[in-house]
Amino acid sequence: MININRLILSKFKPDRRFRSIPSRTIVYMAWRNLSSKKLRTGLTVTGMVIGVGAIYFLLSLGLGLRSIVTKEVLGNQSVQVIDVLTPNSKILKLDKDVAERIKNLPHVQLQSVSFSFPSAFKLENSEIDGIVYGIDSSYEALTSLDVSAGRLLSAKDEKVAIVNRAVLRAIGISNDQTAIGKIVELEVPLKNSGASVDSFKGAFKIIGVINSDAGSEVFIPKRPFESAGVPVYSQIRVLAEARGYVPDLRKQIESQGFQTSSPLDTIDQINQIFRYFNLMLVGLGAIGMLVAILGMFNTLTIALLERTKEIGLMVALGARNRDMRRLFVYEAILLSVIGTAMGIIMANVLGRFVNMLMNLMAHRRGVLRPFELFSSPAWLIIVTILFMIIIGLVVVYYPARRAERINPIDALRRE
Amino acid sequence: MARIMIDLSGVAHSYRTEDELVQAVKEADFQIEENTFTIMYGPSGSGKSTLLNIISGLQKPTRGRVLVENRDLYSLSPDELAFFRANRLGIVHQTTHWVRSLNVIENVSVPLYFLGLKRPVAEKVAMLVLDRVGMASYAKKSPLVLSGGEQQRISMARALSSNPLFVIADEPTGNLDQENSDKIMDLLQNCKSEFRCTVIMVTHNMEYVPLADKLITLNDGIAQALPAESMYETTRKLMTDLQHRINKFTGKKQI
Repeated sequence: MININRLILSKFKPDRRFRSIPSRTIVYMAWRNLSSKKLRTGLTVTGMVIGVGAIYFLLSLGLGLRSIVTKEVLGNQSVQVIDVLTPNSKILKLDKDVAERIKNLPHVQLQSVSFSFPSAFKLENSEIDGIVYGIDSSYEALTSLDVSAGRLLSAKDEKVAIVNRAVLRAIGISNDQTAIGKIVELEVPLKNSGASVDSFKGAFKIIGVINSDAGSEVFIPKRPFESAGVPVYSQIRVLAEARGYVPDLRKQIESQGFQTSSPLDTIDQINQIFRYFNLMLVGLGAIGMLVAILGMFNTLTIALLERTKEIGLMVALGARNRDMRRLFVYEAILLSVIGTAMGIIMANVLGRFVNMLMNLMAHRRGVLRPFELFSSPAWLIIVTILFMIIIGLVVVYYPARRAERINPIDALRRE
Repeated sequence: MARIMIDLSGVAHSYRTEDELVQAVKEADFQIEENTFTIMYGPSGSGKSTLLNIISGLQKPTRGRVLVENRDLYSLSPDELAFFRANRLGIVHQTTHWVRSLNVIENVSVPLYFLGLKRPVAEKVAMLVLDRVGMASYAKKSPLVLSGGEQQRISMARALSSNPLFVIADEPTGNLDQENSDKIMDLLQNCKSEFRCTVIMVTHNMEYVPLADKLITLNDGIAQALPAESMYETTRKLMTDLQHRINKFTGKKQI
């Protein structure tokens, strides 16, 4: 027997201060208890999988739809971009000084200025009306131009142009590639613009085509407009260093009397609409969730009633009352984590399946670009798990408090 | 003179049921020395279990003082009391109780878990103790499927796993047949001789009375320690009483 005594004493001196049960041991005991009641635990977890899965499925649908809508509306626009507009071009002009001032504001990473005038184009002996833009490379950096053939303008380019697809379609060119190398002739009236000449003419070689059907547009380097002495820019666009600086930067620009617009406005509107939409979805899912939570409460309460004697025994054997509370808390957390994790997995599997079906159906109806109907970002997973752990802690509050107050003498006397 | 392990002075306990005040223990004044075997006996309802609960640190008496190793047990904080039970005390009940989801070795390890030992260490110790009570081969079984005698032996192992200073056994043989009872009594005697424990046992089986170093009788809530000198006399008297009862039931005349 001496070896046992030695073994214990070496690990645990009689006078050593009290140590609490290692968390791993309590988790293990909680796990053993849950797994010993396979049917009951299985049913409770199934309830949670359905409840959590339903809410998660609907939320990730809401998020997916929102991101599809946002993408459709904004395209590739950067959310850090701010457009500067003037409310009255006669009084408040977007001239060089203004551009310089705005460029020097704090947290401005990049600025682009551009000219735009209504103009007539001549291409392949056809004449079209549209808008001509005088741009530079920073304009290209700040405006997402989706090149379908050829390339964008570079700083060295002169006498070259980019046209959009609408121009080509207007004169009957259906293959973007064939437009490259053709010459487009422009005649831009500059009357009333304050320029030194009445109009500006020129021939430009097409080097790129942009995938856009919204009205005929031609982009050329902005230098010819500067040479013509156009004193006012049509548009000033700035890029903030980070998304977070956008509101502040807008405020500073607006304080100088200008108007600003940003894709964030659109995103805000989309988000607002989807906030209500998501709330509705969560409301629907909440019914399932409520049932799941009641199931969990039921399981934990029964576990308490059933184990009153067992808890009394453990207290008699030296457990502290709060260890018994811990046991229940860990059981609730285990149930929450297992149920939630499985619910999220199920929701994802179902989401993938539905997404595949919808893509297939859309494909048959002619939508060629695949889309993601469901979005499952990491934050949603983490928030869901944390939320369910909190729910678990709320649900276990009553049984755990009861467990903590069990009197071992009364409990062991129970039959 | 052996060191005093447990010292009760002026202990009384009463509790209130719905309509009356029950005096479970009226007067308990006795001392129990280290490494002795004490048997407590008395009729049902005489307050034995209440007294054991008081000594176990589970029931604070309404009056009086309980010193264990010269420390007032009920001046300890609830945490210290829990530590006392896990570290100093081994308990064997008449009915075996288990943490039902755990197997034999885990149940034996439970008091060690409460002392903060990690599972592998606790189970190593538990295995040695199980081996000592001859139940090592049952380690991975559920205690619920075992016989009463086997369960009681495992419950002895659990009481001994934390190497306690004293073992309290509340009618440990109450539900067992003669053979299993004897095995348990062997183990209890070993608690004293090998583990150097102080053993306090409540029993109705008078044949075990001669094993005791000290007898405490309980009658209507009054505990009385019989002096060592009167042990022989008491044992003889108990045996005679037993013979009387046998005769009474069989109708034989007194010899």
